[in-house]
Amino acid sequence: MAAVEEPQDYLDVLQSHRGGFSFENCKRNAYLASQVAIKPPTAMKSGTTICGIQLKDVVILAADTRSTCGPMVADKNCEKLHFIAKNVYCAGAGTAADLQHTTEMMESQMELLRMATGTQPRVCTVVRRLSSMLFKYQGYVGCALVLGGVDVTGPHLFQIYPHGSTDKLPFTSMGSGSLAAMAILEAEYNENLSVEEGKKLVAKAIRAGIFNDLGSGSNVDVCVITKDVGGTILRNFEKPNERKFRAKHAAFPIGTTPIMKQEITKLVSVEEDVVMRD
Amino acid sequence: MMDFMAQRPVGQEFVRHVEDGCPYRADDVMKPEQAVSTGTTLVVAEFDGGVVMCADTRTSTGQYCANRASRKISKVHDRIFVCRSGSAADTQALTSFVLHYLGQHAVELGKQPTVNTAANLFKIMAYNNKDHLLAGLIVAGYDDKKGGQIYSIPLGGTRVRVPYAADGSGSGYIKGFMDANYRPGMSKAECLEFVQKATALAISRDGSSGGMVRSLVITKDKVEEAVIEGNKLPVDL
Amino acid sequence: MNGAHRFGSKCDRPKATDIHFKMQAPVEHRWSPYADNGGTCLGVAGENFVVVAADTRLSQGYSIHTRNCSKVTRLTDKCVIASCGMKSDAITLHKHLKARLVMYEHQHRRQASVTAIAQMLSTTLYYKRFFPYYTFNVLCGVDDEGKGAVYHYDAIGSFERVPYTTSGSGSALVMSVLDAQIDKENQTIDTPALDKAGIVELCKDVLSSVGERDIYTGDSGEIFLIDAAGISKTEFDLKLD
Repeated sequence: MAAVEEPQDYLDVLQSHRGGFSFENCKRNAYLASQVAIKPPTAMKSGTTICGIQLKDVVILAADTRSTCGPMVADKNCEKLHFIAKNVYCAGAGTAADLQHTTEMMESQMELLRMATGTQPRVCTVVRRLSSMLFKYQGYVGCALVLGGVDVTGPHLFQIYPHGSTDKLPFTSMGSGSLAAMAILEAEYNENLSVEEGKKLVAKAIRAGIFNDLGSGSNVDVCVITKDVGGTILRNFEKPNERKFRAKHAAFPIGTTPIMKQEITKLVSVEEDVVMRD
Repeated sequence: MMDFMAQRPVGQEFVRHVEDGCPYRADDVMKPEQAVSTGTTLVVAEFDGGVVMCADTRTSTGQYCANRASRKISKVHDRIFVCRSGSAADTQALTSFVLHYLGQHAVELGKQPTVNTAANLFKIMAYNNKDHLLAGLIVAGYDDKKGGQIYSIPLGGTRVRVPYAADGSGSGYIKGFMDANYRPGMSKAECLEFVQKATALAISRDGSSGGMVRSLVITKDKVEEAVIEGNKLPVDL
Repeated sequence: MNGAHRFGSKCDRPKATDIHFKMQAPVEHRWSPYADNGGTCLGVAGENFVVVAADTRLSQGYSIHTRNCSKVTRLTDKCVIASCGMKSDAITLHKHLKARLVMYEHQHRRQASVTAIAQMLSTTLYYKRFFPYYTFNVLCGVDDEGKGAVYHYDAIGSFERVPYTTSGSGSALVMSVLDAQIDKENQTIDTPALDKAGIVELCKDVLSSVGERDIYTGDSGEIFLIDAAGISKTEFDLKLD
């Protein structure tokens, strides 16, 4: 096991308190890549369809549930809608690890803020903190987000790009299926829709992504955020892709796999006559 | 801002290896995502008693239009605004830093800051970080010292005061039009019409500019915003 | 962002002497004559029959061109070919093979045998050794002895007669199932071999499973059964996402 390095001076202490990512291996990796053809590891990126709409006093977000790793489906029913605060949720597209950690970090920051101020977090606070962080990492943290929430100032919907630029919009879509979803939203969005109509619209937009974009698939998750209730995730709101055929296989009889060797090791030995001394 | 830049990941220079002949999407942890940039048309002109700023509303990522109704004219102070072109992330970050510093400065000053100060802050930021930024800015506004003013801050971080300016990918199509038709001492209405017309002309020729024409008239007394919808542009096509 | 900020502080920029500058590989942009249109096919030989299955999705990148495009072409009354890879090359190859087989029939007054077609396909592919057809073929039929025959090819004409095979985007997923269910690899207890209906059922199941995990496989599947009675085709639905 590697020894834990003791901080040598105040600079080390400062460094350890600063937080953030460690880039200590970047130069080494670049050198290795130049010497021998080593491929850096590939990240799980979810080719995704996510979208969101803002209505009179409600925000609705939606996402598909396929997560891919190249041409393979890594997860058929993953969750792309992330909790940030009771009244703020976001849908994420891009690098899975970045999304998970960024949204978890934001969730903890918002909870601390809520406890410190005793007030409900505002959507613009989340947006500013996310965009500052993403800008700092210059697009290397691959988070494309559709962020929605309802706060004291009303409903808000934002899209945030990996480089840290933000847009405030009445309806948005992101991810590889965003074009398919946007086609539906552009055709049918109207700010006077009811909540039910809104849910139907976002689900239809996500379905367009699921069926027409190979990076997106499986089910539709929807999140409705209202002023009174906060956010509610409707997990698998629609399941348009159930398996259509399954053969009945005879089970493998016991003993199909040969047992090469059998060995039973006693991991715990029980001593019967132990005398306790003081 | 400076701290941000000093902390930038060293991994930026990482050489990327994509599998040879891989037909699938190059999917690499060390690769930054594609930037959102404002292929833009910005037009700003001085008139008697103020300035007029004008911009299109298209924000694009490559081929895709990420936002068709964006605001590229951002507020920096009560009577000072900035037109942004280049990387959306860079110019938004730059603007929020200047907004912050100028806000503090105004409180210390106890009165309205000058356009000169705002433009200078933008210049310092843009110049000191020029290797990392893609930002073309036009700062304009009104103050009691010098009246309406326009400062152009192009890519390298130079600052020049000009009577009228155009920037962004669409500006090349209309510079001749502006040189031919700009007159010092126009009335507010004349100037607004001139600037809107120039923006509309650029939109009609430049593929990366489009959507609507947003305009802002800044005078001593007020700031007036106007929008011309994309199907009502003042050009005959 | 805490403490005092000073304007004008330069960040440490990489110098031209730094290692990563020296190794910056040149970026080459060039047009590729090849595309991968995805899809999966498989063939299983029985004692006196053969089963071929393939999906019908035609895609490129993240988009679907069509949901109903067959990968399988009938070459003779007892031989079919299934090709994955690039669709335009597959079309060209199939057209070429069919033309050659018409000429064969006129010259020999009978249809070519599966073994003869297998050899011809190999030479046809190797003919384009240095600008290959980007196709990965499975040739299936019933041979002159009435036995089921499956041939597997690479893109430049290396081929082999095998009891079962698969090619295309989901082939890695298919092969493991066929190894277990047909070849019964690493199984010590003898279980009865699958009959004709069982193999057809297995092919349907395998394609449905691949459709779950391979993004380029889906929409619908088709199964060709070739036996003494000739070629019969059945279709079934796959997932559309």
